[in-house]
Amino acid sequence: MTSMTAGLPDVNRPRSPFTLNLKRREAIAAYLFLLPFLAFFAVFTIRAVINAVQISFYEYQILRPTRPFIGFDNYLELFNDDIWWQALGNTVIFTVLTVIGTSIVALLCAVAVTQPIRGQGFFRVLLYMPSLFSVGAVGLIWVWLLNTQYGVINYFLSFIGIRPISWLSDPNLVIPSLSLTTIWWTFGFPMLIFIAGLQGIPEQLYEAARIDGASGRQIFFRITLPLLRPTILFVTVTGVIAHFQVYGQPLIMTNGGPGRSSYSVIFYLYQIAWTAFRMGYGAAIAVVLALIIATATAVQFFFIGRRVEY
Amino acid sequence: MSYRLRHLPAYAFLIVMSIFVVMPLLIAISQSLMTNAEVNRWPPQIIPANPTFENMHQVLTQQDLRIDLWLRNSLLAASGYTIAVLVLCAPAAYAFARLRFPGNNILFGLLLVTIMIPSQVTLIPNYLLMRDLKWLDTFNALIFPGAANVFGVFLLRQFFMSIPSELEEAAVLDGAGYFGRFWYVVLPLSTNALVALSIFIFLGHYNDLFWPFIVTNSLETRTLPVGLTILNSSYAGQYRPMVLSGAVLSTIPILIVYVLFQRRIIRGVMLTGMAGR
Amino acid sequence: MNKRMSLIVSITVLLLAALVVSVPMVGAQDPAPEPTPIVAEMGSGSIKVSFWSGLTGSDGTTLNEMLAQFSAEHPEYAITHEIIPWGTMYTKTQAAFVAGNPPDLMLMHASEIPQFAGYGVLEDLSSWYSNNGGWFPIDDISGPTLDGLTYNGAIYGIPLDNHGRGLWINKEMFEAAGIDTDPATAPTTYEGWVELFQKLTIDANGNNALSPDFDPENIVVYGYGTGEWPRVNFQGVLAQHGGSILSEDGKTVTVNSPEGILALQQTYDLIYKYHVATPPAGFDTWQMFPGQTLAVIPTGTWFVNHANTSVEFDTMAWPQVQWGPEKGTWFGQHVFMLPVGSAGEKREAVETILRWISDHQVDWAASGQVPARLSAQAALDPVNYPSNILLGQTFSEYGVQDPKSPVVQEMYAILEPELDAALNNLKTPEQALNDAAERMQQAVDRAF
Repeated sequence: MTSMTAGLPDVNRPRSPFTLNLKRREAIAAYLFLLPFLAFFAVFTIRAVINAVQISFYEYQILRPTRPFIGFDNYLELFNDDIWWQALGNTVIFTVLTVIGTSIVALLCAVAVTQPIRGQGFFRVLLYMPSLFSVGAVGLIWVWLLNTQYGVINYFLSFIGIRPISWLSDPNLVIPSLSLTTIWWTFGFPMLIFIAGLQGIPEQLYEAARIDGASGRQIFFRITLPLLRPTILFVTVTGVIAHFQVYGQPLIMTNGGPGRSSYSVIFYLYQIAWTAFRMGYGAAIAVVLALIIATATAVQFFFIGRRVEY
Repeated sequence: MSYRLRHLPAYAFLIVMSIFVVMPLLIAISQSLMTNAEVNRWPPQIIPANPTFENMHQVLTQQDLRIDLWLRNSLLAASGYTIAVLVLCAPAAYAFARLRFPGNNILFGLLLVTIMIPSQVTLIPNYLLMRDLKWLDTFNALIFPGAANVFGVFLLRQFFMSIPSELEEAAVLDGAGYFGRFWYVVLPLSTNALVALSIFIFLGHYNDLFWPFIVTNSLETRTLPVGLTILNSSYAGQYRPMVLSGAVLSTIPILIVYVLFQRRIIRGVMLTGMAGR
Repeated sequence: MNKRMSLIVSITVLLLAALVVSVPMVGAQDPAPEPTPIVAEMGSGSIKVSFWSGLTGSDGTTLNEMLAQFSAEHPEYAITHEIIPWGTMYTKTQAAFVAGNPPDLMLMHASEIPQFAGYGVLEDLSSWYSNNGGWFPIDDISGPTLDGLTYNGAIYGIPLDNHGRGLWINKEMFEAAGIDTDPATAPTTYEGWVELFQKLTIDANGNNALSPDFDPENIVVYGYGTGEWPRVNFQGVLAQHGGSILSEDGKTVTVNSPEGILALQQTYDLIYKYHVATPPAGFDTWQMFPGQTLAVIPTGTWFVNHANTSVEFDTMAWPQVQWGPEKGTWFGQHVFMLPVGSAGEKREAVETILRWISDHQVDWAASGQVPARLSAQAALDPVNYPSNILLGQTFSEYGVQDPKSPVVQEMYAILEPELDAALNNLKTPEQALNDAAERMQQAVDRAF
């Protein structure tokens, strides 16, 4: 707490009732500084979380006059809802593919771009560019690239004798295809984080390793990767949280199809809460989703973060 | 091994990645300059035979598409949101970093715990609140619900704590109060952090889809990402080049800003990302 | 410090620039949005009427032209026409009813009447019809049209048009395959339609699907496609077999009846047994038909403008396929509705507008849709409006509409992915319809 004692050195502080006043004044000032933030926080976060749990125990439909309390029925329905399980499965597969894909691509790019080469800055700027686009633009561009009949990707593949691939219309390929699109779109941010992480590794370590005759591959696996552990943890944790909420890609590129092969959890939540207007059931979905994400985060801390010091 | 040879793999990889990144955009630009018939042809045309800006014109003048409005809305909402986050978070971060008050640690701990709660939980209650406040379809709904940004407080607190307290003491001797110290000493010394946070917050909000999608209904209050989904659902079947034109046009403003401020944006994102770690 | 200052300055300038650019937008928070092309203002009279519709694109322009002409003739009114895409119009209208500030006049689909009338927010307009002494001649609309407007015995709207399903054919391909293009010669059995599609489906070697050498792996031209709105096509065929989505009383979901399964199986077989139709996923019929890789496109009245602008060969409208013993084709209606409690000079103004539009329905045919009034249909010029006339007759004679249920939207949100799954061969038709029926029944049960 010593770092928080801004203000005057002790010598200048008179031992009088004034000290008390000063303390109280400081506390009052602090609360005033906090007030606007806490007011918004209380209304839009605390209240909302409590309210969400509450609503999830009701059959709450916006335009219906009655909203009966139904206990855990929404959660029971969710447990037996095969669309929910399908959406959850799709989302998990999408998240795993995307997080692993973005992390690998981002790490490789970061390693390449931190070599002492010319054009470092140029490549960094260029490779980060897709991250600036909105999911709308990304979806519209990629849905046409991946088109089975007229897509440029299938055209390029035809040069090496590959028959047209139904990227977005094959139920087994649609999630990987959305994942590919998302990797293109989002690997820039983890790349920058990895660059920062790599720059934080002392150059002496590399020099020492080179003097010992270590190969590039050995250096990467023995020095770079272990020292990047906290960075990798951060990238995967934020990646899982972000990609678990995938919504725009299926909305724009497949509308959840074929069938329900690309329904994501949030996509399904939207249908329940804003097409059927079943807010109670939607809230139950949201609460369970939150628990899943929190668990996933904890698991990652356990496995990747074990030897990370915080 | 010579310098060049040693870095050949890195170069080769970066060039392949650059092609991977740039090609989709170039193809989209190229196809947005084609006629409808030209786009629906196999093999696909890579270069338009007779480049036409007709699609761009169409997408800007369609009665039910307002890319100009949507862009304006996106900029307004993201700017408003960024300002709101700064206004709320900077004083709170200052209190947590510098001031002694009962409950400091407990409150801060509570904030950190809520970082773990994903935002979807708050969607439905906040949507219902927007409805009750009659904020649906207004900018208030786009700006205020997420403005108490815990990450912002966390980040700024870190920075404020790294500022030597001697600098503030000088101001105290000059008779500055708590607000004076915050406003005249701490804030000016934290511009890097504030700018970094602003960039990060702005970009995140600018590209947000789900919340704007549910709280805006009329064409005039849609934001760009939401508008593009309208463009898609209304025209993708019929006028593919027009849809691609819309996608391309929507990226131009942000690309211009990016080219102008590339270093700062990259640095800001890195700084924020690292601090968040 | 200089560098920092320049940072602050540049960021501030950016944010300010963004704000300045956006300032006029702030006005949109006010109850009266600023006029933009999507919010068209007609007339400048003292009696103001707010009007919402989902007529995007050329439809909205057509209606605005009509309203502008009305305003010229009736200077005492000012009409604000706000266009909201259908998908969001529905949500927005709900929100407006909840908030208690609906517009004076709405154009929606007849299928939404049960939902809104069920909540008691729509005005009963029965007294405007001639059987109750009103001005709208009730005999001048078809039985199906009137039925779609009626809920629990009351009429809740003034109809503008019928719009629904039909086919467009590539005449050149028909002639090349030796098929008569006269709609009167269209097959009336499933087997007949299969044969027609087989003649039109051509593989890379130029063999059609009837040929023993036909290669279903390399089809160049498909006879038929299932991509555009499979649900309403299914509803038409379902009716042809005598089936329905909901029982008469609206309480039992009957979509997985033997008739339903047969209807879906027939479509499925065209894709996977006869190899003459595209599955929905990955094949965009609106791209394929103009690109001459699809001979018959199942679509609707709304296709006429695309046919006129994007199709470079001889084409014409045909009536819906007939695969069951009866005829049947899905259609919907654009209907004017009023919020409950409409009264005084606003109600008079709305009534005046609707009378005028009803008298000028012929002009609405430019949108490609079929005017609701039979007299307006009869007055259409056959040279300019062949598809409106042809398809309009099918709607009047044997059109089927959406089931009357307050949860029709929710049911469709369940049914559509199941149909998509079946036609993409992810489930059998029977499985898909059983799964759909179970959930749709839950939705219906919640409503009662």
